[in-house]
Amino acid sequence: MSSSLRRFLITRLLLTIPMVLILVTMIFFVMRVLPGDPIRSQLGPRVSEEQADALRERLGLNRPLYIQYFDFLWDMVTLDFGNALTQGERPIKDELSERLPATIELTIPAITLTAVVGILSGAFAAKNRKKPVDYGIRLLSIVVYSIPIFFMGLIFQIVFSVRIPILPLSGRMDTLLLTKFESITNFYVLDAILNRNWPAFWSALTHLVMPSITLGLALSGVFVRLTRVNMIEMLQSDFITAGRARGIPERRLVYKHALRNTFIPILTMLGLQFAILLAGAVLTETTFSWPGVGRYLVDRIQLRDYTAVQATIGVFALFVALISLLMDVLYAFIDPRIRY
Amino acid sequence: MEKTKLNNDMTSSAEEVPEWLLDLDKVGFVRRLFLARKWYGGDWWFVAISAVLLIFIIIVGIFPQWFAPYDPRVEVGPSLLAPGETPPSFLLITPLDSGDIRMVDIADKTNNIGFIVGSAASQAMRETVDALNESAPEGVRYQPRQKRYETLDEGLQSLANGEIDGFIVSPEELGESLQNYTSLQVANTLREEGEKGFVFGTNQIGQDVLSRIIWGTRIALIVGLSSAVVSFLIGVPLGLISGFAGGPFDRVLTLLMDSLYSFPGLILAIAIAAVLGAGIGNIIVSIAVLYIPTYYRIVRGQTLSVKKELYVEAARSLGTSWKDILIKYIFPNVIPSVVIIFSVNVGDAILTEAGLSFLGFGLPPDTPDWGIDLARGQDYVRRAWWLITYPGLMVTLVTLSFSMLGESLSEILNPRLTER
Amino acid sequence: MSNTQELMKIQDLSVEYKTRLGQVSAVDHVSFDIYKGEILGLVGESGCGKSTMGKALMRMIQPPGKITNGQIIFDGKDIMTYDQNQMRSFRGNKVSMIFQDPMTSLNPVQRVDEHVIEAIQVHEPKTKTDAALGRAEILIQKLGIQKRRMNSYPHQLSGGMRQRVMVGLGLVLNANLIIADEATTSLDVIVEAKLADQLRDVREEFGVSLLVITHNIALVAELSDRVAVMYAGHIVEIGDVEPIFDDPLHPYTKGLLDSIPTIKLNEKEELYKMPGEPPNLTHPPSGCRFHPRCPFAMPICSNQEPTLKEISPGRLVKCWLFSEHAEKADTNTEVSS
Repeated sequence: MSSSLRRFLITRLLLTIPMVLILVTMIFFVMRVLPGDPIRSQLGPRVSEEQADALRERLGLNRPLYIQYFDFLWDMVTLDFGNALTQGERPIKDELSERLPATIELTIPAITLTAVVGILSGAFAAKNRKKPVDYGIRLLSIVVYSIPIFFMGLIFQIVFSVRIPILPLSGRMDTLLLTKFESITNFYVLDAILNRNWPAFWSALTHLVMPSITLGLALSGVFVRLTRVNMIEMLQSDFITAGRARGIPERRLVYKHALRNTFIPILTMLGLQFAILLAGAVLTETTFSWPGVGRYLVDRIQLRDYTAVQATIGVFALFVALISLLMDVLYAFIDPRIRY
Repeated sequence: MEKTKLNNDMTSSAEEVPEWLLDLDKVGFVRRLFLARKWYGGDWWFVAISAVLLIFIIIVGIFPQWFAPYDPRVEVGPSLLAPGETPPSFLLITPLDSGDIRMVDIADKTNNIGFIVGSAASQAMRETVDALNESAPEGVRYQPRQKRYETLDEGLQSLANGEIDGFIVSPEELGESLQNYTSLQVANTLREEGEKGFVFGTNQIGQDVLSRIIWGTRIALIVGLSSAVVSFLIGVPLGLISGFAGGPFDRVLTLLMDSLYSFPGLILAIAIAAVLGAGIGNIIVSIAVLYIPTYYRIVRGQTLSVKKELYVEAARSLGTSWKDILIKYIFPNVIPSVVIIFSVNVGDAILTEAGLSFLGFGLPPDTPDWGIDLARGQDYVRRAWWLITYPGLMVTLVTLSFSMLGESLSEILNPRLTER
Repeated sequence: MSNTQELMKIQDLSVEYKTRLGQVSAVDHVSFDIYKGEILGLVGESGCGKSTMGKALMRMIQPPGKITNGQIIFDGKDIMTYDQNQMRSFRGNKVSMIFQDPMTSLNPVQRVDEHVIEAIQVHEPKTKTDAALGRAEILIQKLGIQKRRMNSYPHQLSGGMRQRVMVGLGLVLNANLIIADEATTSLDVIVEAKLADQLRDVREEFGVSLLVITHNIALVAELSDRVAVMYAGHIVEIGDVEPIFDDPLHPYTKGLLDSIPTIKLNEKEELYKMPGEPPNLTHPPSGCRFHPRCPFAMPICSNQEPTLKEISPGRLVKCWLFSEHAEKADTNTEVSS
C-alpha cells in the first residue's frame, strides 16, 4: 500500500466522522425538538402526570437538551442504547444485533441482483443507444422504478405463493423448523450450513428468494438508468475512439474498456444506492414479515417506543456511513489514479 | 416567410435536407413541437405519452366525482366481492303459516335466525339488519339472535320444528332441499338477484375499489405536487446562493445536504411523520425535506459552472449587482434541469407517500389512499388479489407518467445530466 | 525525396452529418492521394472538416454522420466495400490514428504494456504475451520511452510521452499510414517540436506515411512534404510544401499564410485578417464556398463551383482564377458539381 493511498483512506475516514455527526444530530433534532411528546404518546392520555414524570426521570428526559444530546452521542459510540420501553424492556443492543444480520442477509443477494441486472442491461442499452432495444430497456427500467417495492412484493406473493404455491409467503424459515433451529450468527443460511441442517438450509434459502428478488429488482430500475448514462458518456470518450482506431473489437471496447472505467462512477452510485436499499428493506421486510431492522423500526414507531426508534435510526446512519466508506476504499483499489 | 415546397432542382448536395427539417424553420411553435418527433424519436413519444397520461390523471385528480361511481368512504356492497362478480342473493326461508313476511318482521331481539356456519349468509344478514337499523325510527334497534348450523338439513329441521323464526341460505346451497319440508316456504330474498357488480370489486368493508382509487388520485397529486413545490422553493434558492456565494457558508451547507442526501430518505420521512403525527400537512413536510438536497446539489453544481462563464464574468466586471447576476444570468441556465428534477421528484414523492401510508404513517386510516388500501389488502393477499392489484397499478401508472416525462425531457434537454 | 507511389487514393469522398438544424456536408466530394512514405499535412480552420476527413479515412464516422459518397482505395482495394471484420483488421494493421488530447486517448485503467499487448493480440491472436511484450519493449525504447515505463498507468506519464505511446501503438502493428489528428496541439511548444522531430524519424525508420491534420500551418511547413489546404469541406489547394509556401495560389491559402504572426513582422506591416466568418455548412454558399470572403471574387464564383485543377505537376488548385476563362464559363454549363 503506497503512502498516498494510505493518506486517501485516512482522509476519507476522517470525513466520515462529521457526516455521522450531522446525521445523528439530525435524528436527535427530529426526535426531540420537533413538536410531540414521546412520553405522552407512549403512555397514553390516561396515565397520571406523576407517572409520566417518573418515566421521564428514569429515561433522563427531564435533563437539559444538550446533556441528552451528548448522552445520545455517547450511546452511539458505545453502541449501548439501554433498554427498550416496550416488549419486556429488552436491551436494544441485543435486539439490533439479532436483527441486523437478517437485514444484511436480505440485502446482499438483493444488491448483487441489482448490480448484475443494472450494469448488464445499462451497458447493453448504452451500446445500442437510440435503437429500439435501448428504448425498450429504458421504458422497462422506468416501469420497474415506478412500481412500489411493496406492491411488487405483494404481486410476487399472489403469483408465487398463492396461485402457484412454490415459494413460502413470508418469514425467514418454516416455524416448525425454527423451533429446533440453533442460531449462531443469525445469518440463517450460514447457520444452517454450519449446523449441517439441510432442511433448514433449504427452508431459509426458499424464504430468501422472493424478498431479495423483490428488493433487488425494484432497485435495478435506477441502476440501469445510471449505468446507461455513464456508459454513454464513457463510450464517447477519446480512448474508446482511439481503441476503435486500433481495430479493437467493438464488444471488447464496450464490455471491457468502457465498462471497467464506468465501474468507478458505478461504485459511487452503488454507495448512494445503499441508502435507497435500506429504505427499500424497510418496505420489503414489512411486506414479507422479515424480522430485520427495518421491520423493528416500524414496529417500534407504532409502539411509540422512542428510545428504540432513536437508536435504530442511529444505527442506520452508522451503517450508511460505513458503506460509503467501504465504497471509497473499493474505489481506491479499482482506480489506479487514486492508488498511486 | 413564404412557405415554399422544397425544389429538387437545387443542385448542391447540401440541399438534400429532409422536407420536415426545412419546414421546421417556417412553422409555428405548436407544429414545431409536433415535427420534433422525427428528430428526437422515441424520447418524443415518451414525452407525448406521459403528457397525455398526466393530463388525464390531473383531470381525474381534480374532479374525482365525475369518474367515481360511488362514495369512496361508504359501504356500497358485500365485502370482498371480486371484480365483475355480482353479489350473491340470499333467500329467507320461513314456516308457511307465517305468511308473507320480511326480515323486518323477525328482526327483533327475541327472534332467532339461522344460517349455515361459515357461509356468506351471515354477512348478508348483517347487512340487511344494518340497513334496517339505519332507516329505523328513533329508539328501535333490530338485533335478531343468530343461530349457526353445521348443515342445511339441521337448520331446516329446526325451522320446521319452530325453534327459529327464519333461515337464510343462498339459492345454490338450498337447491331442491325445500321439497322435503312441506311446512316451509321461500318468503323473500335478501338481495336482489342480478344486482350489478363492481368493476374492480369491493374491499373487506364493502367499499368500491374503483371509487377509492379514483379518489386516491387526488390525495396522491396533492401530496406529490405540494411536497415537490416545497422542496423546490427551499432547495433552488439555497443551491443558487450557496453556489454563488461560496466560502464557509457553501461548505457547511454542502456537507449538511450531502449527509441528508446519503441517508435513506424513507426512514427519515418515517421518523418525521411519526413525530409529527398523522395528517396530510405533516406528510407533505416530511416528504419535502427528503428532496431538498436533490435540488440543492444540481442547482449548486450548475451555478458553479455558469459562474465561471465569460459572460457572467463580464457582467460582474461591469458592476452588475449580484442579485441581477443571480436572477438574470444564472437562474435561466438552471431552469431546464430543475424542470426535469421537478417532474421526477413528483413521481418519487408519490411513491414515498404510498410507502409511508403502507407502513401506517401519515394519513388518517379512513382516507381513500392507495398506500392505505395496499396495506389493508395485504391482510387479504390469499383471498382478494384485486385489493392489491388495482391500487398498486395506479401508484405505478402515476409515478411512471411523471418519471417518464422527467427522464425523456432530460434525454432531450440535457443528455449529460446524470443523477449524481 | 518525394516518392510518388500511391498508398491511399481518395476519390470523390463526401461525409454528411444530420443535425437538428439540417444536413451538414462536412466533407464534400474530395479527392486526393497519399503517397508511400510521405508526410502530408492537412490544414484548415477549425470546423472545415479536416478531422472528419481523418476519421472518414478509417471509416470511423459515427452516427449521425455518414460517408455518403466516394471510394477510399488502399492497396488496390476499396475499403468502402469492406465488412465489419475486414474493417477491424484494417484499422490498426494498415492505418492507425493519434488523437488531439493525449490525456484522454489512453484507457486510464490500463497500463502501457496492457495497451500494447492488447493491440498486438487483437490482430495477431497467436502471439504469446511474452513475445508481444518483447516487441513492444524494443519499439518503445526506439521512441525514447524507458522500459520501466511499460508498467505505468497513463496518468503517470507526461503528455509528450503519452503521444509517443500512441505513436508506438500505431507502429507496433506495422501500420502503413498513421493519421495524426491535431496530435501536437495540446502539447507545449518544446514538446511539440520534439514530437514533430520524432514523427519525422519514425517516417525515416519505418517508412510509414503520415497524414498530419492540424490548424497549425507552421508545423506543416516544418514537418511535411506536401500540404493540402481545406476550406469548408473542400480541398482548395494541394501540392509540395515549398512551392505552396513560396507562392500560394488560392486566395484562401494566401490569407492563411498572411495571417501567421512571425517575429520578422515589422511595425508597419499589420497581420492580415481574413474578412468574414467560415460558412455555416448547413447552407453553404453557392458556387465556390470561399467566394463571400474572397478579395478576388468574380461573378462566376457565386454561381459555379470550380474544379480542383492541376496547374503544374503535383500542384492542384480549386479556383476560378486559375481555371480556363472564367468569363467564358457563362456559356459553359457543363461544369461538374
